[in-house]
Amino acid sequence: MGERYRNRMELLQGTLDLLVLQTLLWGPQHGYGIAQAIRANSGDLLQVDAGSLYPALHRLEKQKWIGAEWKVSENKQDVKVYKLTAAGRKRLTEERSRWAQLTDAIAGVLNPAAKKES
Amino acid sequence: MKPWWNWRKQDRELQKEVEHHLQMAEAERLERGASPEEARTGARREFGNVGLTKELARDVWGWRWLEDLFEDVRYGLRVLRQNPAFTAAAVLAIALGVGINVGIFSVLNGAALRLLPVPRAEQLLSVDQVFHGRINRNVHNEQSFFSYAEYLDYRDHNQVFTGLAAYEPFLEATLGGLKMRGLLGALTSCNYFDVLNEHAAQGRTFVDADCAAAGQGAVLVISDELWRSAFGSDPALVGRQIVLNQTACTVIGVMPAGFTGTEPVASAFWAPVTMQKNLDAGHDRLGDSNQSWLAMLGRVRPGLTLEQVRADLSVIATRIDESHPGRQTTLAIARAAFFGRPKERGFLIPAAAVVLAAFGLVLLIACANVSNLLLARASVRHREIALRQSIGATRWRLVRQLLTESVLLAAAGGTLGSLLAFWSFAGIVRLMMSQLPESFPTLAVNVAPDFRVLGFAMGLTLMTGVVFGLVPALRTSSLDLNAALKGDGAQAGSGKKSGRFLRNAFVGAQVAVCMILLLAAGLLLRGLYYAQTVNPGFEMKGLATTFFNLRSLNYDESRAAEFVGQLRERAAALPGVTGVAQAECGPLSSDRSGDRFFVGASSEPVAIEYNHVSPEYFSVVGIPIVRGRGFGANDWKERSAIIVTESTARKLWPGQEPLGKTLYSRLTGGRRGPEYAVVGVARDAQVSHLGESDTMYLYFPGGSPADSLRSYVLVRFAGNFTDLGNGLRGIARSLDADVPVEVTKIEDNLEVWRAPSRIAAGLAGALGGLALLLASIGVYGMVSYSVSRSVREIGIRMALGADGSEVMSHVLRQAMWPVVIGALIGVAGSAAVSWVLSSMLFGLNARDPIAFVAVPMFLLLVALAASYLPARRAMRVDPVVALRYE
Repeated sequence: MGERYRNRMELLQGTLDLLVLQTLLWGPQHGYGIAQAIRANSGDLLQVDAGSLYPALHRLEKQKWIGAEWKVSENKQDVKVYKLTAAGRKRLTEERSRWAQLTDAIAGVLNPAAKKES
Repeated sequence: MKPWWNWRKQDRELQKEVEHHLQMAEAERLERGASPEEARTGARREFGNVGLTKELARDVWGWRWLEDLFEDVRYGLRVLRQNPAFTAAAVLAIALGVGINVGIFSVLNGAALRLLPVPRAEQLLSVDQVFHGRINRNVHNEQSFFSYAEYLDYRDHNQVFTGLAAYEPFLEATLGGLKMRGLLGALTSCNYFDVLNEHAAQGRTFVDADCAAAGQGAVLVISDELWRSAFGSDPALVGRQIVLNQTACTVIGVMPAGFTGTEPVASAFWAPVTMQKNLDAGHDRLGDSNQSWLAMLGRVRPGLTLEQVRADLSVIATRIDESHPGRQTTLAIARAAFFGRPKERGFLIPAAAVVLAAFGLVLLIACANVSNLLLARASVRHREIALRQSIGATRWRLVRQLLTESVLLAAAGGTLGSLLAFWSFAGIVRLMMSQLPESFPTLAVNVAPDFRVLGFAMGLTLMTGVVFGLVPALRTSSLDLNAALKGDGAQAGSGKKSGRFLRNAFVGAQVAVCMILLLAAGLLLRGLYYAQTVNPGFEMKGLATTFFNLRSLNYDESRAAEFVGQLRERAAALPGVTGVAQAECGPLSSDRSGDRFFVGASSEPVAIEYNHVSPEYFSVVGIPIVRGRGFGANDWKERSAIIVTESTARKLWPGQEPLGKTLYSRLTGGRRGPEYAVVGVARDAQVSHLGESDTMYLYFPGGSPADSLRSYVLVRFAGNFTDLGNGLRGIARSLDADVPVEVTKIEDNLEVWRAPSRIAAGLAGALGGLALLLASIGVYGMVSYSVSRSVREIGIRMALGADGSEVMSHVLRQAMWPVVIGALIGVAGSAAVSWVLSSMLFGLNARDPIAFVAVPMFLLLVALAASYLPARRAMRVDPVVALRYE
């Protein structure tokens, strides 16, 4: 268990929303599932803190980018399942293009030689 | 956004969501082969701070404040429950303060804010006119009233009312036949009841045909009260004729019990406005287009604003102004309520402000008292506050917590007080009304609480909670953590200079406010005493008066002169009667006449009150003529002789011989009228206003036949008043059985003058008493608190050799200086504002030295007694016990 923590990376500020929205693009998911999906898809590198995840989920819900409904799981438990809304999809596209710009910009700073002429 | 009232449900959902997360994480760990114990703690550890996460998630929705509030309320209730003595004292003080304020507000609300008690009253507007520029107007009751012609103009040409009614509010009338009584009724336009949407309980109300022409429509609608009291609830009354002011009228309807008209004074009957000349003979108001006499009420069309109504009616007003060059009329339009006329409001608003201020002062004392209790308790709570602070509560959070507690206290006190007020004030108002002399009409004031009263009560309660809680909360939350946590709570409480200063300031404020109220009560009481002992300048004892309004009984001048002449002659022959006189205005009656006169060649007119009196007046009333002569029997024919009072002569012609000086009456348009010459000077007497003998006053020779239409007959008698009354009534009945006779002693007129000041004195006395009680509890509380806090200090003093009396005087000195400073401030404040009472003091100086010495002495003595009781405990401190204390 201690092994994994060593490789953990801090999430960049403002990227959690992007990750949550992207994760929900593949289908409705509950909070724990979202956290696991992010971890799995990042090769265990990105650990989402519950203390950041839930406030973020509720904030996105309040902004109507994701919707939530209650379902009953196979072991008869109430589960709150989040899914992407139309507004959320639009938001995801915007966030993705912003992220692309950001990574390009950072790459440009780190590798001035490889800077593309455009 | 999810509605806030769902926050509890959402809270449960959040809890479930978090639990689910933990269970999933736990299950995964179990799958990977961890022990159940490991799995659970691991899941928890990975999740982090569950409480914090939930709080952050909740913050997203903005429910945090609500949750904090719940928390604070729960905590506050617990704290208050734990200190029942403190809570009870504070709640009682607030209940008292808030209760009396809510009560007085409900009275004012009933008197002036409530809409008229008719269906859909919110649509009813009152219309008044205010004249500017050159005004030349005949006025009956109020200048803001309308003439009949103007009313018809507004009624027929406005676009904003579904109906516009007019009425003369106060018509005095005598019910004829065997049931002779004076009544107050109204003359109304024939759509009056339709506009009000009121229907008769029996019979009908007016129809347009009743108002078709002047002198037509001898029909009456009477009140339920009159139907019961004068006609014994006769079910066959409708359709019968009764005689009102010597005019036979057919009763066509009886109104339901709740309807008393649209004035605060209840109406007994309503007659068509076209009957004005018949019912009030001798005056033609109906035909005079420049006569103010009709109040107007309109039912506005739905959806119109007051501005639109004013705009529409102003067109008519401007058109009417065209025939009155130099005059501009503005209209005052308001939702119809009692006392809504510009002049009435002008009187009511300052009066209400004074009353509300006086009541507010008592609430202020109660607040200061509770503040002090809270401050005293703050020292006990230092450790608790320090603890909360050390685990991270911000100052703002603490203040909010403490304020929640005080608002809870206020809510408890406010609710209790308001309930008491709702329950008791109707009775208190009845009691006060019963203090008024019988000649005062009963007022239809509804003091039952409505939404305005409830709003006032809640607003006042909330404000009270913040007012008395804020200073203690700010102070309690700003403590020195180190000192408090070290456990030196006792010293943190009493040792801090600012805490003691605040408590002293609160005591001083209470004393100051209490002083103002007590001084007001003292001044009013002194005024009453003064009014009883003062020499009015004439002989009040053994003087009886009776008033005849023969004009209202359709007498003409010669018949009236005959009646009064006969009556005077035969009254003079009654046993015990030593003199009979006649006057236009009886001494200290409610009748008063006045006009503007030109003095000599001066072009500036002077306002002077006057009276038309018969030659015997001066000897009968007992006013000596100090210069010149009295009136002779024929002076009224010449119409040129006048008698002025001494002070009038002094003011008009200082240092000159008044005899032979001339005055001119002022005719309409400001022209000079007939000349009058002073033939005598009478001694000053308070015949017009009790307590004022220096009013400008002059006497005209009276006794002309016209004077007899409406006059007072004054009888000087020695002997039994009842016999005199019977004798006068017998004479009048033998002359004309239809003339009502009411004989009163002049001394009884004094009651009318004293009633307002007696009510005010009672009110101020009751308020002052409450204030004194609260303030002495405040002083007592502060002294006993500071004694209990400085037991150790006292013990040391005693151990060092101070004896009991030294300790005592030390404690008393400390206790009394805020009291003395507060008292001084209160006296200075009173001296600055006591002039507002001067109209009720009968000429007593508003800074009457006796009141201003006696009241402060009394208050200081009470304060001394209140501090002596706890100070005695200080004297009995046993040094040995005291030094071991704590």
